[in-house]
Amino acid sequence: MALNPMDIYKLLPKTNCKKCGEATCMSFAFKLLNRERRLEECIPLYEDKKYERQRKKLEEMLKPLEEATETGLIVDESLCTGCGNCVVVCPVHVEKDPKGAAVGKGITIDDPILRVEDGAVKVINMQACRRYGKNRVLCVVCRENCPTDAIRFLEG
Amino acid sequence: MMRFSKFLKVEADIVVARYALVMDETKSKTEPVIFLHPEFAKRSGVKESDVVEVEANGRVVKLKVKLSESAPESGGIIPNGIYASYLTNFDGFKKFKASIEVSEGEPTSVDGIIGQLKT
Amino acid sequence: MKMSFVCPGCSCLCDDIEIVDGKILHACRRGEEIFGKYKENRAKPMVKGKEVDVDSAIEEATEALKDSENIAIYGMDTTTVEAQQHGIELAEKLNAYIDDNSSFCLGEFVEAILRKELPTTTLEDVRDRAYVMVYWGANPFHSLSRHMSRYSYYPRGAKRPRGYEEDRFLVVVDVRRSETSKLAKKNAMFIQVSDDDELVDSFFKVVDGKAAKYAKEAGIILNGMKKSDLNVIFGGLGLKYGLKDLGKFVEMVKKLNEVAPVYFIPAGFHGNMRGFNETLFEKVGYVNKYSFRDGKSGGEFAFTELLKNEKIDTALIVGTDPVYSLPFEVSSKLGKIKTIVVDPRMSFTARIADVVIPSAVSGVEAGGTMVRSDGVRVKLEPLEEREVNDVYILNKIKEGL
Ligand code: SF4
Ligand code: SF4
Ligand code: SF4
Ligand code: SF4
Repeated sequence: MALNPMDIYKLLPKTNCKKCGEATCMSFAFKLLNRERRLEECIPLYEDKKYERQRKKLEEMLKPLEEATETGLIVDESLCTGCGNCVVVCPVHVEKDPKGAAVGKGITIDDPILRVEDGAVKVINMQACRRYGKNRVLCVVCRENCPTDAIRFLEG
Repeated sequence: MMRFSKFLKVEADIVVARYALVMDETKSKTEPVIFLHPEFAKRSGVKESDVVEVEANGRVVKLKVKLSESAPESGGIIPNGIYASYLTNFDGFKKFKASIEVSEGEPTSVDGIIGQLKT
Repeated sequence: MKMSFVCPGCSCLCDDIEIVDGKILHACRRGEEIFGKYKENRAKPMVKGKEVDVDSAIEEATEALKDSENIAIYGMDTTTVEAQQHGIELAEKLNAYIDDNSSFCLGEFVEAILRKELPTTTLEDVRDRAYVMVYWGANPFHSLSRHMSRYSYYPRGAKRPRGYEEDRFLVVVDVRRSETSKLAKKNAMFIQVSDDDELVDSFFKVVDGKAAKYAKEAGIILNGMKKSDLNVIFGGLGLKYGLKDLGKFVEMVKKLNEVAPVYFIPAGFHGNMRGFNETLFEKVGYVNKYSFRDGKSGGEFAFTELLKNEKIDTALIVGTDPVYSLPFEVSSKLGKIKTIVVDPRMSFTARIADVVIPSAVSGVEAGGTMVRSDGVRVKLEPLEEREVNDVYILNKIKEGL
């Protein structure tokens, strides 16, 4: 299911009360989608009983996004041979670990996004992924170089 | 049981190859598995996790079916190991023809093959 | 200081494996099985199905060898060069046949390299300089899992700073749509052949500007090769079994070298198979299937042929598992002769052997030297020492004769 800001906006209080720190509900909706804001920050939505039904709907709607925030990238270990392609191609790793992953060796930095552990790739530090946070980009480099689709993303 | 009556023995091209996802470095077991190409399986009326009888060079093993796009379009891959070795002859060591048919029961056990070696 | 280990799992011999808080880092799935499960399914000293102590098993083996007329020593592809030397000396002393898996794997390619018929290079040079890289009849994703990320297509190299993104051209040749072929996307090409010889032929013709079945593909590859001072062909088992004539392939590589620098590296498998080839080559001038009695190498001395033709009465099998890997028509003959197995594990062959001598896992419980697929020698430091290792056992048998 693809989320869009309009669908989120429709369920917000639409009062532009600014309690969330945003000028408008619409901009809050955008930031929710970008994972820069959490739904709880819309105070009226939680304090005012009349929004309860909308709130529940929104929570339901945003659930995949919440999970994606933690583990936007999913690894199916049963398909992973630990070939290390994804670790070596990741542009963030290349930049941060010029003497390790960039030249093909096991990654040497302590908080890599991905690392091969016990024979399969593990997600170590999702926050460093280019798909995460404010200036996120739709990077798919690791997935593209995994020949068995052991890596997938929740939202395409 | 409908499926069985429809089912025929089909000829398949078998490739023997290393398969990192089912190997066992401790040499204690091998998974009795054949990876069939999805198209081939469909044409032949075989489904994932069926048990099939694979016959080549006068020998038969029963293997569990998995599907894989990397298998040859006209057949399947049997991972390196005792099942592939049991079926092959030296001149068709890595690539041979076999016939496949859906079967019932459990896949062939390693002990069954080893038993035949002991005299 | 972090301690790193060399993984003996395949001929990549990755030297960056770390063990931190009980986790094995950077090793592929096969490497993890070796470091993580080396205590499982261990062999026990056995004589005719009964458990004995190690010394009795070694003694029994020695006696059996003394009593035998026609002996073959087979395997040693997963042990160290030092143990291989002992094995070869033992074969010499016994006037025996000696062979390993390479006789039906990539041994003849290694022999062509050692005879300087095929030009070769190192994996470090590939990483730093190679532009076109051809995986021919090889699917490293399964057989040499880290080959592409460690040494070839993906890493950034000194003269190839942008790695696969712009500085490499990948060619995959296979009879099927292998996993590796799926990685041939941008700056890449997949050639699905039905007959490898036709592609060999096409390269010949394209160099001479003639028409050929794969002229278009070969032309693009050749143009890419001309751009670089280093290109490489990795040949695997598919190539070995796809070629009718190795000589013609060797000629093809020479022909390509008339227009561009092209090197060959075997994409073979076992950790120290090349080590066996080189160690035997140093001693007798051949890489495998050698008869000390006849003083030469020949197809009839391949372990598989000796077994099939019932030419041997005793086999000493070291660190390999023919019941697992050889065709039934061959392995079924093992039941008819005396078999002595030296292996850390209770392998399939050990289960039918007359004598089983448990050994150490090379690289994990015994140190020594191994030779990578490109001929580079790598020193292995064990995690823990185990006294009864291949060197100890083979040496003891030798002295006991
Ligand atoms: S707090 Fe809620 S209602 Fe108020 S502006 Fe923000 S989103 Fe709109
Ligand atoms: S999505 Fe991009 S940045 Fe994130 S882990 Fe994959 S390659 Fe790295
Ligand atoms: S996720 Fe894919 S690319 Fe990454 S190590 Fe596993 S198999 Fe290789
Ligand atoms: S690629 Fe080979 S050497 Fe490297 S970790 Fe895997 S099995 Fe070990």
